[in-house]
Amino acid sequence: MNLLSKITMLNLLLAFAAFGIGGIRVYQKLRFEVQRETDFSLMESLDEVERIIHSGVPATDLQSRQLTAIPVETATPADLEKVFSDTIAIHPVLKHPEVFRKLSVTRNIDGRFYRFVMMNVVIEQSDIGRISKNVVEDLFVVLGSILLIFNFLISKWLIRPFKVTLEKIKGFHLHSGELPAFPNTSTTEFRQLNAFLTDMLLKIKNDYHALKEFSENASHEIQTPLAVASGKLELLLESPGLDDAQLQLVQDAQQSLSRLSKLGEGLLLLTKIENQEFTLQTPVDFSTILGADLQVFEELAALKNLRFNADIQPDTHVRIDPALAHILIGNLLKNAIRHNVADGWVTVNLDATHLSVKNSGPAPAVPTEQLFGRFQKSSQTGKSLGLGLAIVKKICQVNGWEVHYTYKDGEHEVSVQFQLVRR
Amino acid sequence: MKLLIVEDEKALLDNMLSYLSRGDLVCEYAATFQEAHDKLVSFSYDIVVLDIMLPDGNGLNLLRLMKDCQPEAGVLIISAKNALDDRIAGLELGADDYLTKPFHLPELNARLKAIFRRRKFQGHKEVQFNEIIINTDTHDATVHDSPLTLTLKEYELLVFFIANKNRALTKQSIAEHLWGDHVDLQDSFDFVYQHIKNLRKKITAAGGEDYIKTIYGLGYKWSA
Repeated sequence: MNLLSKITMLNLLLAFAAFGIGGIRVYQKLRFEVQRETDFSLMESLDEVERIIHSGVPATDLQSRQLTAIPVETATPADLEKVFSDTIAIHPVLKHPEVFRKLSVTRNIDGRFYRFVMMNVVIEQSDIGRISKNVVEDLFVVLGSILLIFNFLISKWLIRPFKVTLEKIKGFHLHSGELPAFPNTSTTEFRQLNAFLTDMLLKIKNDYHALKEFSENASHEIQTPLAVASGKLELLLESPGLDDAQLQLVQDAQQSLSRLSKLGEGLLLLTKIENQEFTLQTPVDFSTILGADLQVFEELAALKNLRFNADIQPDTHVRIDPALAHILIGNLLKNAIRHNVADGWVTVNLDATHLSVKNSGPAPAVPTEQLFGRFQKSSQTGKSLGLGLAIVKKICQVNGWEVHYTYKDGEHEVSVQFQLVRR
Repeated sequence: MKLLIVEDEKALLDNMLSYLSRGDLVCEYAATFQEAHDKLVSFSYDIVVLDIMLPDGNGLNLLRLMKDCQPEAGVLIISAKNALDDRIAGLELGADDYLTKPFHLPELNARLKAIFRRRKFQGHKEVQFNEIIINTDTHDATVHDSPLTLTLKEYELLVFFIANKNRALTKQSIAEHLWGDHVDLQDSFDFVYQHIKNLRKKITAAGGEDYIKTIYGLGYKWSA
């Protein structure tokens, strides 16, 4: 539910409660006023009757349905008090019971006491209630309509800058580097929000670039000392008189250096793919690229005594940076050969919609989909870096492809679903 | 063969100088763009090893300069930047080869010799080592004039060995020379062993001497 609907709903709810209470108050006021008026009119009638009796008309002549005037001998002080009460009697015209207001009082007119009982029909409580309800209902409908129309108009122009800001943030990408230009608005809160967002985005952008620069520089700068150290070790190997154990130490140190260097390259590559630095998105002949790469790996597979089968549909074009295509294929094939069993097999399939690399191999130690994470390895003993599949996943992500890893009965399969090229 | 190494990293420069000077190379060096510029204008070299990232200038500009003042010199670019566009820019400007840091010194040596061969012996690209003669144009090799049937990898291995004769070569540097980036396959060292075994067999079968010495735990050496 959007902000305006919420505000409108709350407003209507509040109005509903307010009108409910207001309705009760109106009803009470009305009833009080009606009773007061009725009592007042009864008292006026009493004065009138007293005046008529005073002028000499006998009280007995004045009897009617709404008035009884009976001469009495004496009166206690309590009788002289005016007593108002509600009573029910048959209405003279409508012929059914109605609520009447009754005034009972004893009066002394020219030295004689008369007991007066006067009645007047009052507006019924249910009538008052109905009237109150109608009034409140009408008001509620009018107010509600005004509220709805008003809210609609508000959304048209008051909330508009906010919506524009939202749209701008949604369209903001760190890679593009362009800070969104927020609309000018006279609303303080929105102005503050926009100023805050601009500051924050600028800071995020700067931090991001600083971090990116750092990781790039770190990966980059680390290569020179590594090259130096590796070179020193190679020079050390040339020195005469080293025994086998010493040579082995140098060799081990060199392998670790090489591993460190590859790790840096791998992480740098991941960062670069993430930063969309491989932006060449031309349709490439995937079949040819795959075929060329297969030759390199066929030999490695043969040396490991693996059966290598490839079924490549020729002239398969997909949209990808060629450099990434090589990396993707290389990593998949490398994995298939590395995590294999003695006398195992590797099968590569390529058709218009997907690439699949299947291989025999031991069951993975972790769920297959987890193997796409960085430094997730099915075996900790191997010399692999644990970045290969993470890079594969990243490449698929930036190209909008899907990649899945399944394992069943000694058969591993990584399948890549291409986004089809529209030609 | 006269070499100019342009590299600002002192330690790396020392490594290259000490490794390459042991062979039949005359090495000079420059640590800055300006120094390199002066040397390139004043003297002539067979090959220039060029670091693209220099403190006072871009190595690619030295490449442009070399087109004018010594177009016959070969160029090997080295850089930590393995960005594709840098490599392409370098090659387009006339560089012969490209090596990214960190690299193995035997690899550098082999690449330099390959450039030297291509540049200096047009039409006569032969490498000879005693009874073994390699034609780098046709990728043929003979022992005592009888042809060797070598696979591409065995041929590359032989050239790599002779370029680095009398030097200890680790299995790792051999594997990286043969398979490049794909070498982190855990059992690539066994592949090296198999290729060397085959190469040895083929050379000795053709009546050649077995020059490949195994250094236990480390690798191999082509000893004369």
